[in-house]
Amino acid sequence: MGLEDIPVTVETGAADLTGNAQALLGEIAALLQRMLATGEGGAIDLASLPFSPADRSWLEQRLGRGEVEIRLMAAGLSTFNETACPGVWWVSHHNEAGIRVSELIEVARIPELVAAHPDDVKIGLERLNNLINELD
Amino acid sequence: MNKHGNLLENLAWQGISRRSFLKYCATLASLMALPPTAGRAMAEALARAPRPSVIWLPFQECTGCTESITRSHSPSIEGLIFDSISLDYQETLMAAAGHQAEEVLHKVVAENEGKFVLIIDGSVATGLDGAYSCIAGRSNLDLLREVGPKAAAIVAVGSCAAFGGIPKAKPNPTGAVAVSDIIRDKPVVNIPGCPPIPVVMTGVLAHFITFGSLPELDRLGRPRAFFGETIHDRCYRRPFYDQGKFAKTFDDDGARKGWCLFELGCKGPVTYNACAHVKWNDGTSFPIESGHGCIGCSEPDFWDAGGFYKALSMPADPLKFVAGAAVAGAAVGVAVSIANRARKGAAKAAHETATLADLEK
Repeated sequence: MGLEDIPVTVETGAADLTGNAQALLGEIAALLQRMLATGEGGAIDLASLPFSPADRSWLEQRLGRGEVEIRLMAAGLSTFNETACPGVWWVSHHNEAGIRVSELIEVARIPELVAAHPDDVKIGLERLNNLINELD
Repeated sequence: MNKHGNLLENLAWQGISRRSFLKYCATLASLMALPPTAGRAMAEALARAPRPSVIWLPFQECTGCTESITRSHSPSIEGLIFDSISLDYQETLMAAAGHQAEEVLHKVVAENEGKFVLIIDGSVATGLDGAYSCIAGRSNLDLLREVGPKAAAIVAVGSCAAFGGIPKAKPNPTGAVAVSDIIRDKPVVNIPGCPPIPVVMTGVLAHFITFGSLPELDRLGRPRAFFGETIHDRCYRRPFYDQGKFAKTFDDDGARKGWCLFELGCKGPVTYNACAHVKWNDGTSFPIESGHGCIGCSEPDFWDAGGFYKALSMPADPLKFVAGAAVAGAAVGVAVSIANRARKGAAKAAHETATLADLEK
């Protein structure tokens, strides 16, 4: 049974903005600027900030949605949604039980976790070569 | 299972991909208050790490700490971190019992002297030469004195092992003390909490496996990564404190709006722990999110620190002033600490006469 199954609604201060989300926009802009200048992106851990539910949805709305949505199935679902600002990704990691375990804003051209690791590419190539050999 | 390769090979063996592992490390880095990008560095180091032997001794405890840790979230991968250690002795979890179990303990200690990690939950009873708490006919005190000095590192899990906890609460009939009161010549990592947050323990183990050293500790021996800030610092209700918006009772308008619980006795401002951002029950919430103030269970002597429902502002935290005075230096320090001692005495006296009315505050 999840929280949503409990038939009681509680006001959680959802309507109250704390002002922290607004401040974050400037930080994201600074990361974007750095990425343009040096190529090095960065990330902001949303779970570790004093954020009310209202702040979170305010930020999500302001950043909007871009053209790319990536779903990664690795020990549970992870989603990488591009925001309306290209290069800014809204990243959510869930565990196998479907519970969100972390949430980040990642500033990168492609989220770090999405790109294939060279070692894994090597293993893939080996597998492919085996397949080709089996054809003979 | 292939137990001889490194961690990443072991994971691959079990169908756990590199991305799954990186994702886990990213989450762990987030929980350890490391920069989000530290996950990759951790993953690389963890993947190459050897497996240390771990011995877990339960002393004067309620098994709540073990319960907490065995119910840790994302069990599949965290379980694998535990798999990457060799948990050689844990009475609650091990299959062996009686003489067999004790044989394992002594064998592991002898074979891994100076290399194993010793985890302890529960306080150490010192009354009647430790007779209040014994395993296999030997007192905890005796066992700790024998095994402790041979460990590479000691981790005191839970408020009891870290600070004495509830067994040490007044009048402390068993003469309970913390592990660090007995082991003086070796750093003891304290992971307090009643119970502690499971991932904090995994994090400390991951740190030890990754870097081969203990994480940076604060003055109470707690890892700074998790205990560097107070509950209050990271509380989502903190902005309401700053705005002066307080719930006055548990069912008033302010309480419903999620305002700050300071006036209802929340100990968040003086409690160093990671509950506010790591959270409990698979990341569902933490006490303040459920509408109850923090009781400060990860602080020393929390049980005797006055009423849970008494606002911190009444009386002011006397212990803090005394600690400050000790640092301030001799001349000024002495005068201030005498003044504070009087104040502390008064506060202590006030605390001892806690009545039902206090609890209702």
